[in-house]
Amino acid sequence: MSDDELAKDLGLLSALAIGMGTMIGAGIFVLPGVAAQEAGPVVVVSFVIGGAIAMVNALAVSELGTAMPKAGGGYYYINRGLGPLFGSISGMGDWMGLAFASAFYCIGFGGYLTELLTGTALALPTLEFGLFAVSDIQLGALVAGLLFVGINYIGAKETGGVQTVIVTVLLGILTVFAATGFLHFDWTTLTTDGLAPTDAGYGAILPGTALVFVSFLGYAKIATVAEELKNPGRNLPIAVIGSVAVVTMIYAVLVATMVGIVPWHSLDDSVPVSQVAEITFAGIPVLDAIGVTLISLAAMLATASSANASILSSARINFAMGRDKIVTDKLNEIHPQYATPYRSILLTGSVIIVFIVALGQDLEILAKAASVLHLIVYGLMNLALIAFRQADVPEYEPDFRVPFYPVTPILGTVFSFGLIAFMDPIEIGLSLAFVAVAVLWYALYARSKTPRRGVLGQYILDRSEAMPDVAVSAATAASPDAADEYRVLVPLSNPRTERQLISLASALAAERDGVVHAVHIVQVPDQTPLDRGAEQIDRIDAESAKLLEQAREHAEERGATIETTTIVSHRSFEEVFDAARQYDADQVVMGWGADRPWATGRAEQPLDELAHDLPCDFLVLKDRGYDPSRILLPTAGGPDSELSAEIARTLRSTTGASIDLLHVVDDESEREAGEAFLTEWAADHDIGDAVLTVDTSGDVESAIAREAADETLVIIGATERGLLSRLVRGSLVFDVVDDLECSVLLAERPTKRSLRERLFGRSKE
Amino acid sequence: MADSLFETVLVPIASEEDAEETCRAILREIHDGPPTLHVVHVIEKAGGAPDKAGVEQRKERAERIFNRVETELADEDVPLETEILYGTDVAEAILERAKRLDATSIVFTPRGASRWIKLLTGDVAQKLLANTDRPLVVLPRTESHE
Repeated sequence: MSDDELAKDLGLLSALAIGMGTMIGAGIFVLPGVAAQEAGPVVVVSFVIGGAIAMVNALAVSELGTAMPKAGGGYYYINRGLGPLFGSISGMGDWMGLAFASAFYCIGFGGYLTELLTGTALALPTLEFGLFAVSDIQLGALVAGLLFVGINYIGAKETGGVQTVIVTVLLGILTVFAATGFLHFDWTTLTTDGLAPTDAGYGAILPGTALVFVSFLGYAKIATVAEELKNPGRNLPIAVIGSVAVVTMIYAVLVATMVGIVPWHSLDDSVPVSQVAEITFAGIPVLDAIGVTLISLAAMLATASSANASILSSARINFAMGRDKIVTDKLNEIHPQYATPYRSILLTGSVIIVFIVALGQDLEILAKAASVLHLIVYGLMNLALIAFRQADVPEYEPDFRVPFYPVTPILGTVFSFGLIAFMDPIEIGLSLAFVAVAVLWYALYARSKTPRRGVLGQYILDRSEAMPDVAVSAATAASPDAADEYRVLVPLSNPRTERQLISLASALAAERDGVVHAVHIVQVPDQTPLDRGAEQIDRIDAESAKLLEQAREHAEERGATIETTTIVSHRSFEEVFDAARQYDADQVVMGWGADRPWATGRAEQPLDELAHDLPCDFLVLKDRGYDPSRILLPTAGGPDSELSAEIARTLRSTTGASIDLLHVVDDESEREAGEAFLTEWAADHDIGDAVLTVDTSGDVESAIAREAADETLVIIGATERGLLSRLVRGSLVFDVVDDLECSVLLAERPTKRSLRERLFGRSKE
Repeated sequence: MADSLFETVLVPIASEEDAEETCRAILREIHDGPPTLHVVHVIEKAGGAPDKAGVEQRKERAERIFNRVETELADEDVPLETEILYGTDVAEAILERAKRLDATSIVFTPRGASRWIKLLTGDVAQKLLANTDRPLVVLPRTESHE
């Protein structure tokens, strides 16, 4: 759709500008002073190492972002990959990390604002309230914080190029700064006390990295707006990796220049760039007069764009979390007039203000708290990447893949968590406390609400026999309640045939300790409003209750847990699909026959669209007296007969059914190959003891008809797609379904199909 | 010929509350035969800068708006089509769609925003007035919401 194209209006340049604009603010204008005082001139190496760690993570962001260009970025990947427990940790971590970072940027802004206004009539005062004081810098930061929150609240319109212009201007000013700095650069200033003059010597490098890592938090913001990128498969990796590379280079050059002009121990810890600029711009016409003011303005612009981008992406994360019900979706209400997520912005804004007032005196705590929380997210993100790759999820098709897998994501994980170790105990403690809070939040709030289990948890539970017990019980313990159970949905309409369906569903559910969910779909004519006609509803309710009560008895006879729901709808066939999605069913078992409303062939939506996009496994039973004691399973191999094999196995283990396999080949000469295939197939599917028959007639339908004579149930896998749609249209290829004496179970499993396959059918295996 | 004016009507709707107001106004004011209502919601794009609210988020909101419209008009025999538009300028997107649709008129209700809000959000109604190439029909809101 061209409309969707219109929704994607961020080009490569915009994406680069977002990444670089977010990063440049803090790294260059605020931190060099503090960091240099802590580590000495080797702080340059700290910056480079920070860039290297960011780069490894940027590779992971690129892969995950191109696989899932969704709002929410890191949170989204981790929630999908590692499940909602880690999703909660990362969502909260990313969110609060951004709040800390925003507070930090605001303080940076406040510093330069104070510097700019000093000596003018507008000079900011320091306010004291008894024990509690707010410095002039904090006051400036508060002004900034309120301003940015306000801008995002009312959604003041930024036109396309603003961010790009800001970044270009910044780069221009910094280039001038670097060029003049080069003239004043003095190697002896840099080396007066040696390269690593602090007590820790070269050991100060990594703690320095821990401090300045906050300067690299911009690249992941690109991923949070990935859904709006043009051609994300190409632009996202270039923008993410490119912005880290460029920014790292800028940091290295400028910081080296600065410590080569002002000795490391005297570099100003709130406005280092202004301090250096005063020296380097001296004597140069124009710059001498306005240069320092220009630097202050540039610094404010840079920190403002960082803070702005952070507030904005925290709203995206809230949205993604709200959609997964990790936080209440009420947070994501959109303002009727401004069309902004105002509640999310207000909440994040309040947190930022609190951080500025409470912690604003200490730049380091804000910077490191932001870094720790982001590092936790980055570490988890690398693990999520590994989970996606190992679980081999079919939907996971990144356009960009990290090189040297699995080394790269493992390094990313080790680096990210490892850098946390170089923080001070207070920040480590804070972050541990924070993780504990997020885990509690998950356990007490989100677990009962979120419907989604992660790829990792699914992977472990699907292989519960092969996995170590501790992994399985951990995965079970961490699974969200709402996604816990294997759910077999049974749409019911006719009391007469419902018993067979419930028996089958009970057997399938019991196999996986799941539940049977009986849904009575009552179709009412279009003219009848759904919420009116109380009389009629009462009547429907009474009938429905009776039907569902029978279903309950039948299920309980077979020891299955059952839930029941009545749905009143204008539609019938579609409602089955809707219900399957709504209740997150794993299998749908439905009957087929003239007495069911969905079999009358009237569908309200293009059927192909429906049946080509199955929400889960579909089993359609055409019953002629359901008796699963002797099963015939015709197979031609391929992924579609997997489901049939599964069902046959389940029935064998619960009812002791016998299984006969049938494979049809074209003539006698292929018999041997056919037998070999069938033997192997049976062994692969754990039904090696079945009776194997190879038919050489080449006529599938009559072969099935012949073999089915002694059987009670034929399970036919959807060897071709669109089985359900053909069923509804009455144009089933297997006419045999109608000719057989015994019951037939049609099984179809959803697969992802390309557009080409949709148009031209499945390519032959 | 009131009918010709209301033959194919483009109805731009900004918010959920607006959906309710507008539908009521249409039912109240337009009686002569069922017009084809083409209801649109414009998702404003920054055109190169990240938007304040994500596209997915606002798509969900658009669906809620359309649901409101469908609920309001559920009992009426009105041919209804809904569509999400994207554009950097809301008024422009509406006019452009009206042209492609060959709409006989554009029907909306004023949102009664204060001058301050108009200044901040841009006055869509004013832009429609200034640039329209087809009839604009402005329906009054119900008194209770004045």
